[in-house]
Amino acid sequence: MTTPASLRAERISTALGGLTVLDDVSLNVGPSEIHALVGLNGAGKTTLMRILLGMLTPDLGTAHLTGVRVCAAGERVWSRVGQMLETPFAYPELTARENVYSSARLHGMGRDAAGAAAARALTALSLDHYASRRAGTLSLGNRQRVGLAAALVHGPDVLVLDEPTNALDPRGVVDLRRILQEASRERGAAILVSSHHLDEVARMADRISVLHRGRILGTLQPGSVDLERRFFDLVLQSDLQEQEQ
Amino acid sequence: MSASPQALEFEALKFRRAPVVRTVSVLIGVGLPVLAAAFMVAATSDGSSQIGLKAAAMLTSTGWTGYFAMVGMLLSVGALMGIGFVVCWCFGREFTEKTQACLYALPVSRRRLAYAKFTVILLWSLVLCLVTVALALLAGGIIGLGMPGPEDLVVAGKAWCAGALAALLACPLAVVASVARGYLPGVGGLVLLVVITQVVTAFGTGAWFPYAAPGLWMGMGGPAAAETVSPLQLLLCVPVSVLGIAVTGQWWKNMEISAG
Repeated sequence: MTTPASLRAERISTALGGLTVLDDVSLNVGPSEIHALVGLNGAGKTTLMRILLGMLTPDLGTAHLTGVRVCAAGERVWSRVGQMLETPFAYPELTARENVYSSARLHGMGRDAAGAAAARALTALSLDHYASRRAGTLSLGNRQRVGLAAALVHGPDVLVLDEPTNALDPRGVVDLRRILQEASRERGAAILVSSHHLDEVARMADRISVLHRGRILGTLQPGSVDLERRFFDLVLQSDLQEQEQ
Repeated sequence: MSASPQALEFEALKFRRAPVVRTVSVLIGVGLPVLAAAFMVAATSDGSSQIGLKAAAMLTSTGWTGYFAMVGMLLSVGALMGIGFVVCWCFGREFTEKTQACLYALPVSRRRLAYAKFTVILLWSLVLCLVTVALALLAGGIIGLGMPGPEDLVVAGKAWCAGALAALLACPLAVVASVARGYLPGVGGLVLLVVITQVVTAFGTGAWFPYAAPGLWMGMGGPAAAETVSPLQLLLCVPVSVLGIAVTGQWWKNMEISAG
């Protein structure tokens, strides 16, 4: 039996180059949940995601995927994970189709299944017209779509996406929102998404955590009308407290 | 040290499509035979031009034997430079182009991906050296060397071996490209290796230095020096290569992304 999809960060602290980047951060994303992580530049969003994906070992604390510690995660765990951090999976010398197909193969899919899944993922992200074009010749937005298709092609139920709507046009944002909501509803996926844009994540997330200077300041309800004000209240309050100390 | 089929398929696809690989393939596969044939013509021409005299000094013997020895000398240096560049690019590009994050959170380990890169590079290198020698054979016929005898083909085989050894010796450059996170530091390492090889050879201890041994074996230090290179000295290339591959694999297994 497969364990339910989940992502968990437990009291994670880490410093890079002598600077504290994450300070006692805990986060839990359960099955069928889209959890957004918002914060200003340099808040620590990407670092937290790197730790959750095993790209970085924290100084303190632990990260878990589907109940398994990331440092002990094996083939079975990783085959359930889709991610897009830093640069999208879009090698410039490969076509859009080859990139997405390669991602499916690396996630353990057979050749036929990978080919069919790649075609579906390209269609879902409106990339049919660009399937045979080299990723290096695509626009930034379409390369982002290729990266998203590569992250989603194998039907993962744990997803970590760092600023996935960057460079996407309005249609891309709508496509992505639909795909993530379907994954959450139909596959019970646990999804962690980071963004700078509150209005954007408010439309897709079930919960929003505010990360500022390496600390989780609180959570926001996506349905709130004055989301932006609440966000800045939390951030300014934290800055004031820090100045007083 | 094994690579999974998926990793091999992925790395082979990237490799096949890479313009860098195509350029190096043409430079080595076509450029070296043409260069060897041109040197041979210059060396055997009646004139006493500077280039003719220098090319003649490179010949260890006459006819096909001398010609294939020259091909071997060019391969021992050219393959190290060309294949070394490809090794640096294959590993370093993941950092330079910031695609290394795509290699995390996969059921295929990064160590296996690294081994897949080595497997693809080494297979390509062996075929490339074979094509180079075959084209050199063709070029030799065109410049009028006639038909090669069995003993000439043995020297052609040695030339291929010199290329294959150079390919093995290029593998440790992946360590530099990986640790320094980019292909340019790897290329810097390659240049440094060539300089060190020159110095070690000038001190007369080249046969024991794996990066100098294949060239000396092909006659770069003259026929007498070629005779002194033992199979053991040539085989030292293998542990150097295996060590480079193992260190790279281990580094890829443990590497983390903390910056950027």
